[in-house]
Amino acid sequence: MRAIRTAAFALLVASIPTLAAAQGNVRLDVRAGGANRLAIRCLALTPAGDRGADTSSVKADEVLANDLENSAVFEVARGWVAGGGGADPQAEIGGTWKVSGAQITLSGEVHDWPGRKPIFVQEYRGASSEWRSLLHHYADDIVMQFTGEPGVASTRIAFIVQEGREKNLWVMDSDGADAHAITHDRSIAQSPSWSPDGSLILFTSWRGGTGPQLWVISPQQAKPFLVSGRPGLNTSGVYAPDGRSIACTLSQDGNAEIYRLDPRGGSPVRLTDNRAIDTSPCFSPTGQQIAFTSDRSGTPQVHVMDADGSNVRRLTYDVNYTDSPAWSPKGDRIAFVSRTDTGFDIWICRPDGSGAMRVVEGSSNENPHWSPDGRHLVFTSERDGKHALWITDLDGGPPRKLDTGGRVALSPAWSPRSGPASPQ
Amino acid sequence: MRLDHRSLMPIAILAAGLALAGCAKKAPAPAPAPPAPAAQQTPVPVPTPTPPPAPAAAPVAPKTTVADLKTVYFALDSWTLDDATRATLDANARILRDNTALNVRIEGHCDERGTVEYNMSLGEKRADAVRDYLVGAGVAATRLTTISYGKERPAVEGHDEAAWSKNRRAEFSQP
Repeated sequence: MRAIRTAAFALLVASIPTLAAAQGNVRLDVRAGGANRLAIRCLALTPAGDRGADTSSVKADEVLANDLENSAVFEVARGWVAGGGGADPQAEIGGTWKVSGAQITLSGEVHDWPGRKPIFVQEYRGASSEWRSLLHHYADDIVMQFTGEPGVASTRIAFIVQEGREKNLWVMDSDGADAHAITHDRSIAQSPSWSPDGSLILFTSWRGGTGPQLWVISPQQAKPFLVSGRPGLNTSGVYAPDGRSIACTLSQDGNAEIYRLDPRGGSPVRLTDNRAIDTSPCFSPTGQQIAFTSDRSGTPQVHVMDADGSNVRRLTYDVNYTDSPAWSPKGDRIAFVSRTDTGFDIWICRPDGSGAMRVVEGSSNENPHWSPDGRHLVFTSERDGKHALWITDLDGGPPRKLDTGGRVALSPAWSPRSGPASPQ
Repeated sequence: MRLDHRSLMPIAILAAGLALAGCAKKAPAPAPAPPAPAAQQTPVPVPTPTPPPAPAAAPVAPKTTVADLKTVYFALDSWTLDDATRATLDANARILRDNTALNVRIEGHCDERGTVEYNMSLGEKRADAVRDYLVGAGVAATRLTTISYGKERPAVEGHDEAAWSKNRRAEFSQP
């Protein structure tokens, strides 16, 4: 099954340019507000098989409804809640939840409404320990059915948890479930970044004892290995979209500059040459450009350059003190932060600097990172008192908080899609 | 890499100094990773009869430690050394010149007002500025190492200038 997923993932990646061309402005069209979401009604899944199905299907109903709500595509009514019917739906989501020993079979069925014609039918099978993932895949397929592009319910988020003076790397599902630590080294981890295939996480760590170094680890909790431990800074590592190189910040030549390395940390090529601080590189989805932060004009400002370091220009003059660029997966927007009296707001603009728009404000908000479908930004915020992870759906609604068990959570990075929307 | 670094430290007294400081437990000691087995290279200094459980704090090393070096502070987004900072560093340089066995690590720190990544670079600029000044004041560059902690290790928690001004700093620790 793993091999099949990988092959299908390659296909998916290959088709992204077409999708991007076809859907360049979908997100911003959706932005007008919740009114543009499609009304759907979730019906309780019908339990079948073992007796335990009666209770597990109740949990399954909620996971699925949450996924569909979180997609930012749907306005979800829960059919099992009295008076929760909402507006007339365009479709009804249902199916059968069959438990047979340690095996679960989810037979998903989507009908249009009121005609009740089946518009999507798909079966998902898996071990009962993976029950959530069956529902995430079903939700992603439903999003695909209505938008032409799969949802992101089956993706994950890497982030940093602070406990006292220690910071460890954690991973959780994008709905906040199954949060667990990946590093346990009593040091400081920061700035996770996924490889394009989702198999590795690059991060900055002080675990070597000599300063910030770039390490890489598999989310399956193997031991991390060193990618760059050159003298001085080794920070801000991100993979190129093709996975064949890494951009990062090194100060081996006496000043923070952006370099390109091979994925094992060798063959450094220096991309910036300036006495100011140059850091926080981030590739465009084509890999042909890099957004980064430089204080060459006095204060930090996001700049854009070609991937070989040429054609450097400041991103926008409409907003001041900008940092933490994040290029959207479709290439049509760059998210960044801008300093305020209390911290940072989050903005987006086009890669040519036009159309700057504040999307998150108040308190302090940092480290914006796009979901792979470009419909959401995950970020760190102190808006309810302590650092936690929040998601904005970019459609005008208030941000929602990810439940990380009350932990101090920082520096989120959204994983790429780990496989096809349909596992069968 | 760390092993190389250690093998470059030939002087016994230095190793003894390290061991001593390790025991001295300076409260905000940052050491993120446990130090490598210094015992191997620490020639156990005194002829105590008890064989293995001997290496306690042997008060032979110089009394001056990194704790005698004063922390210096910076303005927002700046790594410039102002007059007060230079005066403090002059005093630190004097101590370092008088105690040639004292090697130090200069830690650059930032307040929370910059981003994580930018502060990692800013912290290094601060540590480098202090190192360069001390070298200019006659301290051998080989005795000084630098490390940036960005905003990862604030000295003071808090979201106001009172806290921020204490966190924009370069402090001295055992290398």
